[in-house]
Amino acid sequence: MPDGRLHAVFTTSADARTALNRLGQDGVAHENVEVRSSVPLEHDIIPVGSKLRSRIPWTSIVGATLGGTAFFLMVKLTSEAYPLPTGGMPIVPLPTTGVVTFEGLAIGAILTTVATVLLECGLPGLKKPGPLDHHLALDHVLVSVTCDEGASTAWAVKAIETARD
Amino acid sequence: MAGPAASVHEEALLRPLSSFRPKLFVGSLLTGLLVGVLFYSWGYQIVNDIGVAGINRPVFWGFYIVNFVFWIGISHAGTLISAILRVTQAEWRRPVTRCAEAITTFALLIGGLFPLIHLGRPGVFWYMMPIPTERGLWPNFRSPLMWDVLAITTYLTGSVLYLLLPMIPDFAIIRDKAMREHPKSLRTLFFRVAAIGWRGTPQQWFSLEAGIRTMAVVIIPVAISVHTIVSWDFAMAIQPMWHSTIFGPYFVVGAIYSGVAVLMVAMYLLRKGLGIGEYLNDKVFNNLGLMFLAFALLWGYFTFAEHLTVWYGNEHAERAVFDARISGEFAPLFWTMIVVNVLIPLAILPFPKGRKPLGTAIVGLGVLVGMWIERYLIVVGTLSFPRLDFNAGSYTPSWVEIGILVGSVGLFGFLYFGFLQLAPIVSLWEVREGEHIKNRQAPAQQHALHPASEEA
Repeated sequence: MPDGRLHAVFTTSADARTALNRLGQDGVAHENVEVRSSVPLEHDIIPVGSKLRSRIPWTSIVGATLGGTAFFLMVKLTSEAYPLPTGGMPIVPLPTTGVVTFEGLAIGAILTTVATVLLECGLPGLKKPGPLDHHLALDHVLVSVTCDEGASTAWAVKAIETARD
Repeated sequence: MAGPAASVHEEALLRPLSSFRPKLFVGSLLTGLLVGVLFYSWGYQIVNDIGVAGINRPVFWGFYIVNFVFWIGISHAGTLISAILRVTQAEWRRPVTRCAEAITTFALLIGGLFPLIHLGRPGVFWYMMPIPTERGLWPNFRSPLMWDVLAITTYLTGSVLYLLLPMIPDFAIIRDKAMREHPKSLRTLFFRVAAIGWRGTPQQWFSLEAGIRTMAVVIIPVAISVHTIVSWDFAMAIQPMWHSTIFGPYFVVGAIYSGVAVLMVAMYLLRKGLGIGEYLNDKVFNNLGLMFLAFALLWGYFTFAEHLTVWYGNEHAERAVFDARISGEFAPLFWTMIVVNVLIPLAILPFPKGRKPLGTAIVGLGVLVGMWIERYLIVVGTLSFPRLDFNAGSYTPSWVEIGILVGSVGLFGFLYFGFLQLAPIVSLWEVREGEHIKNRQAPAQQHALHPASEEA
């Protein structure tokens, strides 16, 4: 426990779920609990009291709108900046503008989605690796709990008692 | 959890990343030589000007544009197929997505080179960017060539990100493993940087999955738009046998067809070369083989519909191009294309034995040749017979064009071999996730089949 945290390794997600529920029953705040895995787990395997949420569908719509508007304006403003004599016809007709705008919508949505993923995931992250991280490579689940120095021994004893053979 | 059992199988995927593999080295070396041919030929053209290529009046679009359309078509192997399989939640997609997405990225990079090569003077490419030139000109947004630039840039950006995003958790798995085994090595440092601090918390997984889902939905119409726009490079001109309303879907179907073909060949080689038959198993080949068959039928139907209307319309200029294909100077190429793109696939793929790895790879190789011929016939076949007869002419590619074509194949192989040594070619976390889902479903299914046993 060199980083003030108690780390536990679970070989099944069901065991991790049980441990998280126990931590919740013991009144451990979800901010002090971290679950980690090398695969997406069932969505209920999270610290009690915490909630998973993502703004991605909305941010991608906003990104698409911005991208589409930017590309639409690029075409429109270009036409106005270089007013070619076209005998009353549009310099860049609507279907053409539509093609360009569509690509703007797409690139806007893609870039915003990726930016949102990185933001919500806190990436790039600078957290130091934990002592048991190699277990993640073995497809285990790690649960870490931040605890007071005084309480750590009691925590550890309790944790060892719950360990399986 | 899958636990240690999974990691035993994963060793085959991680081996190329950690140790010297003679096959990969030889492959990289040979393809690297071809890359040398590409850049020598291109360099020769830049120094001696575009006249060293065989393109001339009236065939101003030759091998370079054929190759451009071909490689952009190949790029539909990955992102599009992977996105469709993700959106439809096809479980068997898991081992396929990464190797397919890598094909897209590299094929697009190579496809994007050809307009530059075709320009003769690659330095003026920036005229296509939406910034004023020194002559105060803006790009012509009415031109399908301009749409190409926008669509391909969008698709390339999306495809690269769509490839990289799901790779982050895999880099983290390798980092966590390497940190224990070789904490100070350069390789570990590389994976630490590549994993960009991924921890694998539920929130990270939730956001990543939401992001991948959203990108899959967005990227499907983008991929379709790319090859539709490539088809409009032709269809917007009133050249015989180009000015066709079905060119958009015809090109999209052809692109996916050639994309599946290259995926079949690549998967076969990966299975043989890396010994990852556990992942790229017969079931995957069978399912992709069925998709391959569907596209063979679709492509055959479009080709028939396209040629039937031209024959029935009997318009003079179009008939000249048509006759050259059916019974004239392009007939050997045309009928070879029909044999390898329709007859051979229909003779092999309907049968379960034909959808085994070797069968699908052989069909795939044939289809790749056939689809390249298709693009050659569309580009050169039409331009050789313009509407004004006095202007008719022929085209013979020069060694420079052939060198660039061969070199582009080498460049693709070289990039792919390089990729194999930097990232696992099968997505580790997606396969693990698939195993977990299977494990979770198994007891439930057992219970559904024998509810009484538990009650007893």
